Formats: sequence, structure tokens, C-alpha cells
Amino acid sequence: MTAIPVQPPPIAIPAPPRTTLFLLAPGLLLLFAIFALPLFGLVLESLKQYVPGRVGSAVDAPLTLENYRELATPSFAGVLYETFKLSAAASLAGLLAAFPLAYCIVRRFSPRQRAVCIGLLVMLVLLSMLVRTYALELAFGSVGVARPLFLALGISPTSRWYTETLVAAGLLHAVVPMCTLTLLGTIQNIDPRFCDAAQSLGAPAWKAHLGITVPLALPGLVSAFLIAMTFSISAFVIPMVLGKGRVLFLSNTIYTRFSDVANYPSGAAVSIVMLVISLLVLSLVSLVQRRRGSRS
Amino acid sequence: MSNAVEFHRVSRRFGAVTAVDDVSFSIAAGETVALLGPSGCGKTSILRVIAGFERPDHGTVSIGGRDVTALKPYERNVGLLFQHYALFPHMTVAENIAYGLRHRGADRREIPDRVEAMLALVRLQGFGSRRPHQLSGGQQQRVALARALATRPGLILLDEPLSALDAKLRQDLRAELKQVLAAVNSTAMVVTHDQEEAMSLGERVFLMQAGRIVQVGAPSDVYGRPGSRFAADFMGRTNWIEAQVTRRETGLARALSRSGLSLTVPDCPSDAIDICVRPENIILSAADDADQHGMANSAKGRILNVALLGSTRQILVEMAGGEQILVMQANRVGDGLGPGQAVTIGFPVDACITMPAGNPTGLAA
Repeated sequence: MTAIPVQPPPIAIPAPPRTTLFLLAPGLLLLFAIFALPLFGLVLESLKQYVPGRVGSAVDAPLTLENYRELATPSFAGVLYETFKLSAAASLAGLLAAFPLAYCIVRRFSPRQRAVCIGLLVMLVLLSMLVRTYALELAFGSVGVARPLFLALGISPTSRWYTETLVAAGLLHAVVPMCTLTLLGTIQNIDPRFCDAAQSLGAPAWKAHLGITVPLALPGLVSAFLIAMTFSISAFVIPMVLGKGRVLFLSNTIYTRFSDVANYPSGAAVSIVMLVISLLVLSLVSLVQRRRGSRS
Repeated sequence: MSNAVEFHRVSRRFGAVTAVDDVSFSIAAGETVALLGPSGCGKTSILRVIAGFERPDHGTVSIGGRDVTALKPYERNVGLLFQHYALFPHMTVAENIAYGLRHRGADRREIPDRVEAMLALVRLQGFGSRRPHQLSGGQQQRVALARALATRPGLILLDEPLSALDAKLRQDLRAELKQVLAAVNSTAMVVTHDQEEAMSLGERVFLMQAGRIVQVGAPSDVYGRPGSRFAADFMGRTNWIEAQVTRRETGLARALSRSGLSLTVPDCPSDAIDICVRPENIILSAADDADQHGMANSAKGRILNVALLGSTRQILVEMAGGEQILVMQANRVGDGLGPGQAVTIGFPVDACITMPAGNPTGLAA
């Protein structure tokens, strides 16, 4: 009897056959045409010299870093700081509110109640941001329904502190349904018996959640935070309506540069800065998460 | 170190479903009891009530003489072994075992020693730094056992402890489980739907049906003297012969089956009776074998088919009157039994269990 050499079956990664390329082509072309190309144009525009009074740069304008250098000012840093401070606050608060909400929907509700809740949350996400934001303004704005209450409490609805809080609250109300929906799947995938086991081993429910549920939900919490954060950083309507020009976000600055003062190169530069910062936040957080993931 | 359990008239309803229906029982300190029943009979609810995850609607539960009905799970020291282990995936084996010790306020300096001792108890020395997903199913179950026993609970509840494992491993682990439980001298309750598991692990079996405990007894009693058709069927394969009593003698009855078999069986107060005969109590031999002469009951038939199960085989015999009787035999070599062969079956009086006919929960005679 001859020995048959034992070989692992070859794992072939097939080259994409012609049909695959054919099927991918329309999507890739579209992405190139409406995403990559304009973005490249934006980068180019941000490097062109601005001529005051002119809408957009000239075709033969010389390349320069002036548009970026000009951003290194306290006022732009202030906008950056404001954007990140309020976004981070709203995202963290949103996460804190969304986690118990998602937990309750998954673990405590009947399938019917769950379906109703998820429907409501999806509706909230899809409802016009402008409508929701004006509703907030009408309720809590400087001339809103709640004004007498705030005055009675000694809070000035026109103070900077209040306006900032209002913008953060606006972001929060948009972020909570998003985070909740993101966390539903995460919590669904955590075996409820982990918590039972922890309790049978002497951990009160809150400790069991802190020591077991939260660490196991960490990947979901990170993605929910990232979604909330990237949404908040690029928010436009919320700071515009609720901030009334006193709280400026990056998006508002971009809008002003493009539309009000027609400084396209500068608007483009701010846009690129925002894009790069968003990407940095994203990669930083996912890097931290991967580190943690590889440890466990 | 072990705690008695007392269940007094406990009921638990979920909406319209009564999962636990006025159940009372007591488990002696140090005893191992198997709670056996089909899925949905309420056995898991009883486990969850004892562990404190469910609050009973009525009745009281006491552990070690203390009324624990109102206590939260973490306020009772009850060890719990889950069907799918429920090991914390983000912790090492040692951290899993230490979890209970940390939360039950053990002296921090003693925790590593205790963890080592528990690993030794379940024969997993050196596995402390592994993660649960790096272990096999059997090893995970042993870690889960070590974790549950680490806090020296006076009572341990085992939820389908072996059903997630494959058949061979199950047998090994069953023996080991029994050893470990004996070593820690803890009161234990095994909840299972598998009668083999219940009979091999439990000193007593509590048989459950539809929210009630219908029979309590040593495994051999519940198997050999089932109190109802349900109990007889649930504990193992059974032949049922429907018959009418024709004559009574002291303790015995002559009965005639529907198909005309004349049988001698233990007496029963009812005239219409169901006779239960376990397949392994029936002797099968060639048609004219003299072995059957000593048997109180014997009849001729023909083999319908033979099913090999490894060490045993099941032989289905069709009797002259049309009844089909299942016979279980050791699978010995060389007797060449096959379909179509004429055979004689026989069984003694005490292999027959009689109960009144048509009463699935009636009591045995």
C-alpha cells in the first residue's frame, strides 16, 4: 500500500471573472464620477489663490497653501473647539441615554412593543432635521414656550452658555435614536445568561452589567459613538437654527465662505480640514478598539 | 457545607400559562436530585425560582432553613451551571473562576490559591490563563463547574449540564460530574429532559409534567414502578398491551389482550387494564425453545425487523394476534436473528406493570 500524501486542499482566490467586473463597473463609475472626482476638485480648489471679488478661483490661479495658513487663527480654532466640544458632549450623553434604552427594548419588551419602538426610532431618524430643529427652537429657544420657566429659574435664554447647551441638546436629540438603533444588534447578541451567571456568583445586577454587559458591548458602543460623532461634527442645520450665529460649527463656516463671501478656495480648505479631522477621529477610535480587541 | 431545600406550595404563572403549579418538595442536605421532564413542563422555571431569577406568585422557598423567597439571586449563595456554560468570553479561565470569589467578598490574597484548587478539582491545572473560546466544550463545562463551586455554595443547580456535548463525551463527563459533586458534598439539583442523565446523576428523580411533580422516587423505582403511562413512557421505551381481567387470584390476575394473548400479571383494581412491559425484560428465543417453559407469559410471533444500536439491538416482533412487541437484547454474535424468523417471546409476572386503562395519570396497582 502506498502512502497517500496528505495535502491541505488548495485555497484558491479566484481572479475576478469578467462578469464580476461587469457587475461592479456601473457602481465604480458612479462613485468615481460623483464622489472621487468632485472631491479631487475640492482639494485642488483649496490649494488655489483667492482673488477677492471673484466667485471661485481662476483656472490658471497659482497654487498656494495660503488658504490653510489663514486658518491658523484663534477664531478658526474657536470654531474647531466649539464643534468638537459640543459634538463629543452630545455623543457621550447620547450613548449614555441610548444604552439603557436599547437594553430595555431588546430585553424587556415584547416582540410587538419592540417593533413599535424600532419603527418610532427609524421614523425619528428619517424625519426632516429642519422640522425637528425648529420644533426644538420653538420649545426651548430664546423666545420659546419655556422662556418664562427659564427666567423664573434665573437662567437667561440668551446667554452664551444657554445657547451652547441648546445646540448640544439639538445634537443629542438627533443622536439618541441613531445610537439606540446601532446598539440594538449589539445587545441582542449578548447572551442574557452571562448576566444571570454573574448574579448567581454574587454580583448585584448593576455590577453584573458594568463588569459583563458593558465590556461585551464595547465594540457596539464604539461604533455608536463614531456614528454620533461624525454626524455631530458635520451638523449644519442644528447649530445654524439653535446657535443663531453665536455658536458656529465647521459646517456653518464652510457655508459662509462659499455662499456669503464667495471665497471658494477658503471654503474648500475648511472642508478638507473637516474631512481630515473626521477621518483622524475615526481611525484613532477604531485603532484603540482594535488594540483592545487583540488583547482579549 | 450543604443546604437543604424546601419548596412549599410554589406557583409561578406567565400570563395564561402556569409554569409551576402548586409544587412542594424537599431536598435533604447533601442530596443530589434530578428534576426530569419534557421541555415546557416547568422544570427550568423551578430552577429559576430557586436561583432567585423568578419570584414565585405563591408559596415559599427556603434554602438551608432560611426563607429566601424575597431574596435577589446575588443574595443567595446558589451555584448555577448553565447548559451553554455562559463563561464570560472576555475573561480568562482563572478570572472566570475568581469572579464569584471577588463578589462574595473572599480575601483577595486567598483567591489565586482557591482558583488553583478549583482547577485541580476539575483536572484543568495550567489552563488558568486560557480564554473560554480556546477550550473544548467539555473543558468549558468543567470550567463552568469550577466557577459555580468556587464560592462553596451550599446548593448547586445544574441546567441540562451535559446536553450540549456529544454522546461519548457526555458519558465521561457524567462520571466526572458525579465524582466532583460527591467531593464537594454540596446539595445538587440536576434539571434535565434526558432520563439517562437524570437516572445516572440523581439519587432521587422528580418527574415533572405540565407544571406539577407527578412522581418522586429512586431512579430504579421511577423506572421500574412508573405511576402513570406518562411516567412509564418518559422513563424509557415501553410495550403497552391493552387487556381485560378475566380472573383474579391472590395478588395476580389473568388477563386477555385484545388480540387474544392470555397473560398473568400483577393484580389491578380495574378490569380494563394497560400492561407495561419494558423491552429489555422480554426473553426472545427460537420458536420451539424450551427456555420459555418457566415463564408466566409466553407467546409465539415472527420477527418484523432488527435494529442494531451498537451494544444492543431492538427487535420488533409481530405476535400471532397482530400485536407488535419490541424486544431489547444485548447484541451478541452468531445467533443470526433476522426478519421473518419465527420466535417465542416470554416475560415473568414481575416484568409487567399494570394500571387502569385509559387513565394517563392513574396510579399503578
